[in-house]
Amino acid sequence: MLDQRLIEDIIMVALSTGGDFAEIFVEDKYNTEITMIGGKVENSISGRDFGIGIRIFKGFNSVYAYTNQHNRDALIDTAIKAGDAIRGTKQDVVLNFIKYNYKNINPIEYLPNKISKNKKVDIIREAYEAADNYSDSISQVIVRYLDYNQNILVANSEGRFAEDERVRTRIAIQSIASRNNEMQTGSCSPGAHMGFEFYDKIDVKQYGKEASRIAVTMLDAKPCPSGRFPVIIDNKFGGVIFHEACGHGLEATSVAKKSSVFADKMGKQVATNIVTFIDDGTIPNAWGSSNIDDEGEPTKKNILIEDGILKGYMIDKLNAGRMGMDVTGSARRQSYKFAPTSRMTNTYIATGKSTPKEIICNTEFGIYAKYMGGGSVNTATGDFNFAVMEGYLVKDGKMGKPVRGATLIGNGPDILYKIDMIGNNLEYGQGMCGSVSGSVPTNVGQPMIRVSEITVGGRSEEK
Amino acid sequence: MHMDKLKELIFEYGKNEGFTDMEVYYESSSSFSCKVFKGEIDDYSISKEGGIAFRGALNNRMGYSYTEKVDESAIKVLIKIAKENAQIIENEEEEIIFKGSQKYEDTDLYSGGLAEISTDKKLNFIKELEKEAYSMDKRVININNCIYSDHENERRIYNTKGLNKNEKSNVVFSYISAVVQENSDIQSADAFKIYRDFKDFNAGFLAKRVVDKALSYLGAKPVESKIYTILLENIASANLLETFAGIFSADNVQKGRSLLKNKLGEAIGSISLNIIDDPFMVDGVASRSFDSEGVASERISLVEEGILQCLLHNLRTAKKDGVESTGHGYKASYKGTMTVAPSNLYIQPGLNTYEDMISSMNEGLVITELQGLHSGANTVSGDFSLAARGYYVKDGKIENPVNQITIAGNFYEVLKNIEIIGEDLMFAMPNAAYIGSPSLKIKNIAVAGE
Repeated sequence: MLDQRLIEDIIMVALSTGGDFAEIFVEDKYNTEITMIGGKVENSISGRDFGIGIRIFKGFNSVYAYTNQHNRDALIDTAIKAGDAIRGTKQDVVLNFIKYNYKNINPIEYLPNKISKNKKVDIIREAYEAADNYSDSISQVIVRYLDYNQNILVANSEGRFAEDERVRTRIAIQSIASRNNEMQTGSCSPGAHMGFEFYDKIDVKQYGKEASRIAVTMLDAKPCPSGRFPVIIDNKFGGVIFHEACGHGLEATSVAKKSSVFADKMGKQVATNIVTFIDDGTIPNAWGSSNIDDEGEPTKKNILIEDGILKGYMIDKLNAGRMGMDVTGSARRQSYKFAPTSRMTNTYIATGKSTPKEIICNTEFGIYAKYMGGGSVNTATGDFNFAVMEGYLVKDGKMGKPVRGATLIGNGPDILYKIDMIGNNLEYGQGMCGSVSGSVPTNVGQPMIRVSEITVGGRSEEK
Repeated sequence: MHMDKLKELIFEYGKNEGFTDMEVYYESSSSFSCKVFKGEIDDYSISKEGGIAFRGALNNRMGYSYTEKVDESAIKVLIKIAKENAQIIENEEEEIIFKGSQKYEDTDLYSGGLAEISTDKKLNFIKELEKEAYSMDKRVININNCIYSDHENERRIYNTKGLNKNEKSNVVFSYISAVVQENSDIQSADAFKIYRDFKDFNAGFLAKRVVDKALSYLGAKPVESKIYTILLENIASANLLETFAGIFSADNVQKGRSLLKNKLGEAIGSISLNIIDDPFMVDGVASRSFDSEGVASERISLVEEGILQCLLHNLRTAKKDGVESTGHGYKASYKGTMTVAPSNLYIQPGLNTYEDMISSMNEGLVITELQGLHSGANTVSGDFSLAARGYYVKDGKIENPVNQITIAGNFYEVLKNIEIIGEDLMFAMPNAAYIGSPSLKIKNIAVAGE
């Protein structure tokens, strides 16, 4: 992707002002995005992202420079400008790159750029028609198809020289159901670290129908009651609650500066003892997986909370130094435009013992959230919020009527002590997570869980 | 290679491949940012980047492509990909390559003074900001973000109809967030400022604002769940307006994603509501003399005394509705396709002071901050349910801080339920557009707390 001699020269120049570590990240990425609205391909854009990021450390100070000029002079000039921010004396450095070899855990069968755009349109149309034909109430369907092939190279002054290819494929279906002057929406957005073979593994028609089913169901839903109740959150994207409630607080980005409520809690109980929480970047072909992280370290399965006890954080190189701990293969970045930092990959609550039926039967009154929307967290206070896309009332151990417009809010450390039942139906959902190093693909997952009490924000005063 | 030469080669090659009307869109930018943590430069970043986008009509269908690797070898690939993309387009409403407007307003969006500020001066400012914030109060336990950044951008549009426009701009930005603690109670707040010139920064002012705000939340608790009248503070109100600004896009209206269909000339808000889009605002981050299609920008009134006057249009949506483009064609960058977006859009301020608005409330809530706008707001239905913070008001006075609550409603109803509009116009952190609002007193908001 970039001549090894040039890489060596860039690193040497970067270290010439006294830095003690330098790294270069090269990214070459092909993107395609096709949008169908109302049954017609509305737009289709493809292009190439290409750029280089240079990072230098001196102690815990970090300098980052990036550019997409790729000629030798421009790159050396960028390294000089980055080095200017470091004021020290030059240290002796001997560069000896060792190519890092690994077993590919994310094999790709059909690279997206080998597949004709017409074939991609066929898949889009299949999803569209299934969604559109679901009901007469469906007034609009928007299908977005995305694929990319990202090739990266990371080399650093410690001799690491590693490359990875990340191919990701996703289809996002949004259905709008209308009646009188009212509209409701439903969406499904499956994705994977796969090529076009993804569509042999999933049936896009099912996802299309599901998006429309949610929209139509919500058209008939009543406003959700407000107050504090037990909440049952189903599997797949339901895991976004943990992503927000404690995942972000376990990233070194906030732990190292002690601006996380989970700082200094290692080995201590932080959740009820039925909770085990894992971040695993090695799940084959999963949406958030990669062979190596964006610092060239192999990804790992990291146990964060085990039986309620805090066992680990997600740690990148810079924060590993600050915290006096080892890196965990968790360094990620959206693109060369961002310095990497610790982020989640595929994060989930381990499977429990209860059946979904038992959980619902044991709930006298509460809300059942079948699908969650997104959410966010303030890592300093632990306060989080997230939206319920499809919810129902639960009364006397039975599923009741659908409710709309519910938002769940709470405090991360607090809620971990309120999880009183965990189901046995672990599954994953796909999302894009935005934080300091940009927007990265992350899987969230969990079995069905029950939280004994959570604040539900809705618009109805009735219960 | 020089852009003038490159675009000629692209047009020539495109013509040979069957493209009729073509456009080359070029953007380049450079930025500097730094972050300070406990007196040390924690993060320091510089960048220089850019890319070119090609857009061309092939049998009246627009194909798009872009590249960040800009050299002569990229031309063939650009055209080839754009051709593939054009061939699958099915929408018959054609996109237009524009020959240019009669007249363009002069804008001055580039401050030469800013470009000459030394790095040391910037570093000193950010260190001083952090120091000031720590020294404000001993309950300040952490300044977890203290960031300075500046950004310079240049965009150019060339097309085969003879259009050749360019514009250069720069802005400077500072952001700080503070964590305060009293006993086991931890609260945080943030603040930011955006200017066109460095000299406008005042570290003391920004530090005081963020610390005062964080301290004001100490002791916050939820309130009783019920319907309240709220005073939605300016920035929170601007954030809500930003989330729903898409309803004014003709593209969304035409595609059934906005409920403003057939509402032109009708009352959609309270009689005191006026909404303006002003691309020439002096301090507007989204100010511009032409839009992403090269159409001259103009100042427009979207809502006057509660009546919907017009929608935001690009060339394609305007043609479909039989009107003129309002100059709101928008591409997020060279990587985007043509949509519609506001420039500097805001609710026109009224005459009421913040204090008077609070005094006018028997019982209610001041809402200072909204969270989860990307997930808890449905931009199609207008429904929202959002985590919020603020203060409880009783008999015209602020009683105590409030957190762990949600406010829920419907944006279309909120527009009608505005009772009083403040004088204190402020703008939210810019995204695709720059959106502002004064504080608004709004009735009938469902609040969930205890």
